[in-house]
Amino acid sequence: MWMRTTQLTALLSLCALAPDAFAGNGKIVIKCGRVVTGNGPDIENGVVVIEEGRIVAVGKDEKAAWDAEVLDHPELVAYPGFVEAHSSRGMDRPNENIEVAPFLDVRDSIDPINFYFEDVLRQGITTINVQQGPLCVIGGQGRVVKPVGLTVDEMTVRSSSGLKIVAGSRPGRSRATQAQVLRKTFGELRAYLEKLVQDKKDGKDYARREALFQGRDMDKDENKNGRAMEGVASWKLENFEIVPRGEVDEKQEPLLRLVEGKLMAFVYCDSAVAVNNALETARSNGFLANTVLVLDGDAWKAADIIAESGVSVVLGPNQLFVERDPLTGKEIETFVPKVFFDKKVRFALQSLNSTAQSLWFQAAQCVGRGIDRKSALDAVTRTPAEILRLGKQVGSLEKGKDGNVVLASGDPLSVTSTVQFVVIEGNLVYDRSKDSRARQLLEGIEQANAGPTKTDDDVPVDPHSGKKAEDTKKKSETDGAKKD
Amino acid sequence: MKSLIFGLTAAVSLSSGVASMPRDDKPESKSWIIWADRVYTGTGMNFDAGMVGVGGGKIAIVAASRGSDDESSDRILRCYAVTAGLVDASVRITNGASSVEQSNEIQPNLRVANTLDPFAIEWDRQLRNGVTSVLVNPPDLNVIGGLSVALKTAGADTIAERTLKNDAVLRGSMGSEPSRGNHPAFGRPTDFFSRRPTTRMGVEWAWRKAFYDAAAAANDSTRAFPGSERLVQALKGDLTISIQAWATQDIRTAVFLKEEIESQAEFKNGLNKPRMFIDAAAEAWKEPQLLVRAKIPVVLPPFPAAGRTRDNSFMAWNVAEELRKEGIPFALSSHGSAAPENALAMQAGYAMQGGLPFENALAAVTSMPARLMGVADRVGTLEVGKDADLVLWNGQPFEPSSRVIAVIVDGVLRYDARDKAVAK
Repeated sequence: MWMRTTQLTALLSLCALAPDAFAGNGKIVIKCGRVVTGNGPDIENGVVVIEEGRIVAVGKDEKAAWDAEVLDHPELVAYPGFVEAHSSRGMDRPNENIEVAPFLDVRDSIDPINFYFEDVLRQGITTINVQQGPLCVIGGQGRVVKPVGLTVDEMTVRSSSGLKIVAGSRPGRSRATQAQVLRKTFGELRAYLEKLVQDKKDGKDYARREALFQGRDMDKDENKNGRAMEGVASWKLENFEIVPRGEVDEKQEPLLRLVEGKLMAFVYCDSAVAVNNALETARSNGFLANTVLVLDGDAWKAADIIAESGVSVVLGPNQLFVERDPLTGKEIETFVPKVFFDKKVRFALQSLNSTAQSLWFQAAQCVGRGIDRKSALDAVTRTPAEILRLGKQVGSLEKGKDGNVVLASGDPLSVTSTVQFVVIEGNLVYDRSKDSRARQLLEGIEQANAGPTKTDDDVPVDPHSGKKAEDTKKKSETDGAKKD
Repeated sequence: MKSLIFGLTAAVSLSSGVASMPRDDKPESKSWIIWADRVYTGTGMNFDAGMVGVGGGKIAIVAASRGSDDESSDRILRCYAVTAGLVDASVRITNGASSVEQSNEIQPNLRVANTLDPFAIEWDRQLRNGVTSVLVNPPDLNVIGGLSVALKTAGADTIAERTLKNDAVLRGSMGSEPSRGNHPAFGRPTDFFSRRPTTRMGVEWAWRKAFYDAAAAANDSTRAFPGSERLVQALKGDLTISIQAWATQDIRTAVFLKEEIESQAEFKNGLNKPRMFIDAAAEAWKEPQLLVRAKIPVVLPPFPAAGRTRDNSFMAWNVAEELRKEGIPFALSSHGSAAPENALAMQAGYAMQGGLPFENALAAVTSMPARLMGVADRVGTLEVGKDADLVLWNGQPFEPSSRVIAVIVDGVLRYDARDKAVAK
């Protein structure tokens, strides 16, 4: 009996974290003591009404459907779910060994049951741009997901969110090699496309036969027709319209989309040295307008040319850059987000991990270091949403946007606040009271199946089972109560 | 909660206020007036819109009122909040393994102070995070590693001049660390570097043997050994023992060691009064009743993000609040980390996330570690006559959305980042 109830509790708590197993109808009403909309002033005793997964009203006295589930918590603060503009977590093996692999898609690496997707809910993150890791040159296409769902398709908010490109160095490779491979990639793309045009003029049909061999449907409109090369790259192809688009090899096709301005690039720069390489590659191949720089290390020192180029940046999780003065040996601290804030570069913040240095903490640090609260909150909500071209869908609590709402015990940027509920697209997907892992960490209450916890000398231990008789009895009672 | 007496003091001294302070024009001037929206004295009295006056390196006045906002002087420092300088009772700044004497597991007479570098960059890092007094322990690779030193993180260029208290505690370690790297008798040949013990029980044995030997030496001077007089001091309660013990099994071992000394016949004649605190007691939440029973305070290690921490232990985030409820005195520590998410001020914040009230969190990073280190008469609170170690904050202390904007140590403004921070 004890085992049965324990398992049932475990199952129930698992369900709380994997909610799509019994997804709701996307209809919910949230009433909170304070609603931080991210779009105008906070609303005291506010109401957020969500229907069919979308926010239909935010205000003080909004009417709700009679059959909507109501989360009525005057003691809590509601705010828009945080948006992670770039993350290489949540995947099984996030780095690709092939240097140039634009044809890969994180769809095949994202692991829906990865602990990361469970843990980000506790930090109030509801939208994540998952991108390949930095050990590559061109890593593949990323994907924007929400941290709930049992399949990648269920999780997907937007597929093909952009190509991961690495402009700096990586272990075992010099900067020169990395830059050279990057240049070569676009040179080879150009040579390949020129050959396609020439072969077509010469009446050769290798490309068509290869496409058919790969199983591409050449009768589909998008494959059948050719069209002139678009975009603003410094190089142009003459007569490209004579090549049916379906004949472009799928290994090269994502790069062509990038050059034509139809795909975003998340370009990782490990240092200031890499920034120029990144911007130059983007500029000459016509994707500067679709480029987001993902910065790390001392890359902030190139802030002026970044500001000049007009690109947005995702800042590395080590916000406080510390270097030693070469002469005095004293340490000099630079708070990186403030550099970009002062230069009016659009910046989003990035979690290092899903706990202490998560987005709320990064944003709070900004406030302490001279960035106003509104801009700091924007850097983890609206700005990453805009950078991901999801500005109309997530990032604030406004009519028409996805119903992604976090309910916390206090201010979103306070260390004493804990996330109590998370609603994604109108479904309650996280309930702290059912989160046994959070209780173990924050309350010292071990999970039901984690074995004996407190050693109480007064309670005799059964030498055969190792269990304490009274403890066992107590446990099944509380389990029974929880079930109700 | 404003005090009438403090208010009166303020009224009297404000009129002469700034002018009456001893002043000189050197940049290291030791007289300041700090005006803060919140003055957290750490004595249970907090003032809104109060002031702290510093003169001659000491706190001269703490007052519940201040002058008008348009008063201006370069002696006046303005901030949102002011607290006493933070104190870390387990800072772990050492010269690494090279400062461990490997010839013997029991080294009660060695001083870590002799190995410290006053120019090390770590002192600055602590200072920037508002930590002004620290307890530096010998590394925990011996069973009894030696004598710790309590000192300031800024000041003169010698360790001696920065020292608050020499031989502040006798330091040792339980658990797996003292036996880490020691060679077992099997597996590989015994060599010059082979040391004992190699197991937890061996560590415990070394502890007990040291005290029994010391007790014997106290009665029979022919049995004295290097450092036995330090152990005798510890048995008499004249030298506090600090034992590192992460896991609950090691905390028990430390508790039982103290109780054994208190009860066994060998330790009669005044050798049965050891004073002890347990450092890095991550699992203190598991058996707090033992600590209550043995009257042992603890120093908690940094809060681990996912609970699991060193020596196979699990630290729940409500551990500080649990200890408060049980009435066990405790201090928090960052173990010397200065990263924004790990610094001592954030440890206080994390303890508050676990339910600890602000006043107790403040005490756990100021007055309580000062008491454990035996320097509470000089640092840890904002009281007249104490060392002028102050931290100026631009927001609510311990929130990640506020930061340390200036630090005063012994009346000298040692860290000043006011221009870089926007006050709230």
